[in-house]
Amino acid sequence: MNNEKLKFVIVGHVDHGKSTLIGRLLYDTNSLPEGRLEEIKQLCESLGKDIEFGYVMDHLEEERDQGITIDTAQTFFNTEKRDYVIIDAPGHVEFVKNMISGASQAEAAVLIVDAEEGIKEQTKRHAYILGMLGLSQVIAVINKMDLAGYGRERFESVKKDLLDFLSNINIRPSCVIPISAKNGDFIAGRTGNMDWYKGPTLLEALDTFRTKESANNKPLRYVVQDVYSFDKRIIAGRVESGMIRKGDKIRVLPSGEETKVKSVEEYLKNVTEAEAGKSTGITTEDKLFIDRGNVIVGLDDLPAVTNRIKANVFWMDRMPFKKGESLRFRCATQEVNCEIEKISRVINSSTLELIAEDADEIKNREVASIIIKTDRPVVVENFNRMEELGRFVLGREDTCAGGIITEMVC
Amino acid sequence: MLIIFAIDALEYTLVEEFNCNNLKQKFYGKTNIREFSEPKTMVLWSSFMTGKNMEKEIVAKGDREMWNTRLDFNDTFFKQFKNPKIIDLPGFNYIKEQHEMERKLLKEYFDAKDEEGKKKVRTAYNNLSFEHHRKIKQEFSEALKGDYDFVLGYFSVADVIGHLNFGNRTMMKMIYRDLDEIAGTIKEPYIVLSDHGMEAVGIFGDHSNYGFWSTGFKDLGSPRITDFAGMIKGLSDVKL
Repeated sequence: MNNEKLKFVIVGHVDHGKSTLIGRLLYDTNSLPEGRLEEIKQLCESLGKDIEFGYVMDHLEEERDQGITIDTAQTFFNTEKRDYVIIDAPGHVEFVKNMISGASQAEAAVLIVDAEEGIKEQTKRHAYILGMLGLSQVIAVINKMDLAGYGRERFESVKKDLLDFLSNINIRPSCVIPISAKNGDFIAGRTGNMDWYKGPTLLEALDTFRTKESANNKPLRYVVQDVYSFDKRIIAGRVESGMIRKGDKIRVLPSGEETKVKSVEEYLKNVTEAEAGKSTGITTEDKLFIDRGNVIVGLDDLPAVTNRIKANVFWMDRMPFKKGESLRFRCATQEVNCEIEKISRVINSSTLELIAEDADEIKNREVASIIIKTDRPVVVENFNRMEELGRFVLGREDTCAGGIITEMVC
Repeated sequence: MLIIFAIDALEYTLVEEFNCNNLKQKFYGKTNIREFSEPKTMVLWSSFMTGKNMEKEIVAKGDREMWNTRLDFNDTFFKQFKNPKIIDLPGFNYIKEQHEMERKLLKEYFDAKDEEGKKKVRTAYNNLSFEHHRKIKQEFSEALKGDYDFVLGYFSVADVIGHLNFGNRTMMKMIYRDLDEIAGTIKEPYIVLSDHGMEAVGIFGDHSNYGFWSTGFKDLGSPRITDFAGMIKGLSDVKL
């Protein structure tokens, strides 16, 4: 096994078996802490039931809440090929927020559908968000095949409905797998319950996915978080992409001023460079006015500095947006006031039905194509080119929408 | 047939948190038990079945004797039914030996001097409660198929297990989900009713000062536990 790590989310309608699938994946890959499964098994027996893998997650979450395990929202397992990280999305709203804000950093997704219930509203909404974010590595699993008598006919019917829907939003799952997370059919191995299915197991299918291209190879995007004045003036920030090295010529945006990196600063360490994903400090040759929200880039391959942006947003606040309202626009560490200048199209994220064109409002769970006008220039990019500066959230007191930038407007 | 799914210490907030849709039904809320000075199981269920506040009478018996309360059938609203089936209800016909043993073990737990001793007693206590729960579940399930016009099944597992393990969320979630599944098997109109809820005291649980109710057919607002006797009398004549 190499050091490769693939992060993925499991999404789908509530009660379609997400927790059970996670529990089963951990069990089948021997990734559960010792004794945990026995406790769950014993409790299930006490209640006169077969083991329910869904409770494994509850147990792990409880330990996290009590501070027994350190990580807060990620679950790990590995196959012979590589390590996997399952990004936890505790609820529908959290999932949407995490996916759009980029907190989840998912590289792939498993879309789970109950064989008996078929595709439901949340299946569609979650799939829509995967499509909107351009997540191309998707596996669909039709779960609870045991309750459907392991019947091929039922599988094919749900598969057809699902593929019909997904094709409308440009998602092409690499495979659709009939599974029973409860009984372990086609998760890690074949159990003989569905001999008619000749495709891969879920783990085999996951192993075919590619991990993201290292962000080190992309152009430099260093997002300024703060500036501290000690004996020297240290700019603190995060390398979202590329590498930052001592001696590099850099440009500060939006001002456009240029200088050189004098030093890369890390506490108690002598370093000369920092790679993507690293939060680090730098000093510059010249004393420029630099502030939180600025983006430091190289001299080539520049992002846009603009105050008008074309974007797709997913509204996730009960209070609808009405044209004329001022909102906060947050992208990386940039935060400015903005207005929505135009609502070109509003779509129902479940049915994909066009609700309105040139609309005046966006309601909860609707997706809209909009033009945003910020009150100051912001440093942004097309999401498909550079996710880090291509996603944003809109807020009142709390986040009310998340979106991706599709185009700059001149 | 009218069914009462009587659950000791079913906590309103957990029913919501664990999304127990069958326990919630269409209408649900908290019962008002503020007229009682303390949320005592025996007092509350006795008041429920007689339709009057029995606190004075029950408490006067003293802590030990109170558990021997056996109200007369004719003093309860059960008498209006031709063929009622009541399972394990405190103050009426509950299985004394079982609940005595639970209380004995609970005392032993708090008397135990070391962690090892406590662990042993906790396991015995939990096992005893779960075994009883399986029996009651079975009896309730059979009663639902029987020729009764009224069935009341009393489930103590959330209370008994909760007292020693309320801080164990996974265990409580599994119990609530199991109770929810039981509710899901009821095909006739039913009322879910608890005497009181439960609040966390560290890892332990103590009675909270409100109960839980739900129905699939009527919003009851904020009923007192003594209101149910009259309400059920009315319901038995109505085709639900």
